Amino acid sequence: MIVTLLEPLLKIVLLLAALMTACAYLVLVERWMAAWVQDRLGPNRVGIPLTRVRLFGLGQPLADGIKLLTKAQITPSHVDKALFIVAPMAIFVAALAAFAVIPFGSVIPTEGLPAAWRLPKQISLVVAPGMDVGMVYVYAVGSVAVYGVVLGGWASNDKYSFLGGMRSSAQLISYELPLGLGILGVVLATGSLRLDAIIHQQAASGAWNVFTQPLGFVVFCVAGFAEAARLPFDLPEAEQELVGGYHTEYSGIKLVMYMVAEFLHMITASFLIVILFLGGWHLWGVTGAGNEVSWPIALVRIIVLLGKVMVVILFFMLARWSWPRFRFDQLMDIGWKVMIPWGLVNVVAIAAWIEFGGRLSAVVGLSPIVAMALGNGCVLILCWLATVVADPTSIDNRPRRALPVVGQVGQPRPGGNPPCGKTTDRVL
Amino acid sequence: MPHLLAISIIAVVLGAVGVALMLPRGAARGRLLGGLLGAVALGLTLSQLPRVGQWANDALFLVLAAVTVVSAVGAVTFRNPVYCAIWFGQSLLGVAGLMLVAGAQFLAVATVVIYAGAILVTFLFVLMLAQPEGRAAYDRVSFEGPMAAATGIVIVGLLSITIGGVLSAGPMEHHSAQAMATGVLAPQHVARLGDELFGRHLLAVEVAGTLLLVALVGAAVIVRLAADRMSDRQSAADGASAPTLRGGRSVAAESVADRPS
Repeated sequence: MIVTLLEPLLKIVLLLAALMTACAYLVLVERWMAAWVQDRLGPNRVGIPLTRVRLFGLGQPLADGIKLLTKAQITPSHVDKALFIVAPMAIFVAALAAFAVIPFGSVIPTEGLPAAWRLPKQISLVVAPGMDVGMVYVYAVGSVAVYGVVLGGWASNDKYSFLGGMRSSAQLISYELPLGLGILGVVLATGSLRLDAIIHQQAASGAWNVFTQPLGFVVFCVAGFAEAARLPFDLPEAEQELVGGYHTEYSGIKLVMYMVAEFLHMITASFLIVILFLGGWHLWGVTGAGNEVSWPIALVRIIVLLGKVMVVILFFMLARWSWPRFRFDQLMDIGWKVMIPWGLVNVVAIAAWIEFGGRLSAVVGLSPIVAMALGNGCVLILCWLATVVADPTSIDNRPRRALPVVGQVGQPRPGGNPPCGKTTDRVL
Repeated sequence: MPHLLAISIIAVVLGAVGVALMLPRGAARGRLLGGLLGAVALGLTLSQLPRVGQWANDALFLVLAAVTVVSAVGAVTFRNPVYCAIWFGQSLLGVAGLMLVAGAQFLAVATVVIYAGAILVTFLFVLMLAQPEGRAAYDRVSFEGPMAAATGIVIVGLLSITIGGVLSAGPMEHHSAQAMATGVLAPQHVARLGDELFGRHLLAVEVAGTLLLVALVGAAVIVRLAADRMSDRQSAADGASAPTLRGGRSVAAESVADRPS
């Protein structure tokens, strides 16, 4: 009993330590990235305390952490105390819980170590290896994270927080649909909800899902950005309009929990993008495909997976400093009028391919994978063209009607009435 | 087993009296007593549950069961609707945990996705927008409290006595072996569930899906009609007399008009 508990407990401890450290240092990386994009130096001073060693500012996360932990924790008198405390815990726990089923490597082999250290069985590098519904679990835990945002905004009892919470929950709920549709294509093609099975399928065929389902990849990436509330989609905490959004009233360790949860969401999204679409731990000619591995291959697989995740995270950060924030109606338009139709088209295309693809590729004379990649690439281009022609996100910002001027109702304005906007009878 | 039956009946009655006392009645009298009675009832019930075997599984099961029941009681006895919704959500998480312990992985996650992730968040939206300050009278008093508690007692009593009778008839291993054989707990049960849903129950799934689609379209039409009617009335009002202070649009028009052009 104790021994069977030991393995998951060890993994949990390792994962927690790694994630917390990664979050701290990713903040530093993000600040370096910001400095690089904006052509300035960035944090480079904090090194080893009481010495003159600076180490390129690698001590910065430690200093930040100590500062945030020792700051005063202000609980304003007008808040709903219980929910004010529960909300950051909810979002933090939900963000961490997703990692129970996300693999951070392939397996650790039994052979290759001194006899005394021989493992009784292969250890797969995921906390809960038997989870048959891993993908849906991640999705479920992600949907629970909305509570932290909504409750934080409401419990703060403050207009800015409440508006931020409302915006954010509307955004998260809207973008859960394209996220699910993006996942659905991969699940259809793999025939399993297990994340390790999805990686194995890509490794076995050698064709990553990004090539065979480019449309699904685009939809999932955009929805992942929105779910992580990263910059083009960071409406919930738009500083210029909402101060800090739902965490305006938070300070000290509670604020840290929100921040860390945000970073964890980004890391989760990166892991999912890599696992679902970029082949997980697989790299052509290096890692092999099966579950029978030697120690070096096992290590290489971990490095490949984490390296890919790091590249995706860097892309997230670069996007943050290169793209202006959407307005709220643009955000909703992209979600409902572009991403959800694209996702539906993707699911239908994949389902049709699974039904008819074999015969079709035999007729054309290409191998099924190449034919699938070509076909779905065409679907992506067609979707893109259709969206560009129909242009559902273009918005005329001019007032919808000629606003009447006092005293001259119904008379034309000097210079003529402004033209009516194009099909945008929105309420917001 | 008359002994088990007697304890179950006592526990259920105690629990019903406790919940009836805790329900919001416009006064705080008896809430503490009700809570104590409920705790005793919960303890009695948990002590009578059959053990699965391994202590870790048992402990997990008991903790999750207690969380589920306590949260469910909280969902009906709290006066602030937002708190009620949160308690309900926690109860759902407890149920999902129980399903996970029982091996029904897909059911557990689907419960969280659909109930906690979609339906309850919508409730929460409405509640938060509906009562910005103060509490309405209908939140402070529960309607037909004793009757509701009595109805609860009948349902819970019947269920626990029936299930208790089935469970005490044979050892637990027998039942779980049966479940394995019929496929409820089998490995790969997602695939089997999909087969069942889209094989034997295909018609029901399709009908339910169509019904939901029709409801969605209907909701969109209703919203659309209301918006059209409102904009018609608005334009009529704008045409008749401009500076009427009806709604945000006219106010905006006025403030635009005030500006020097």
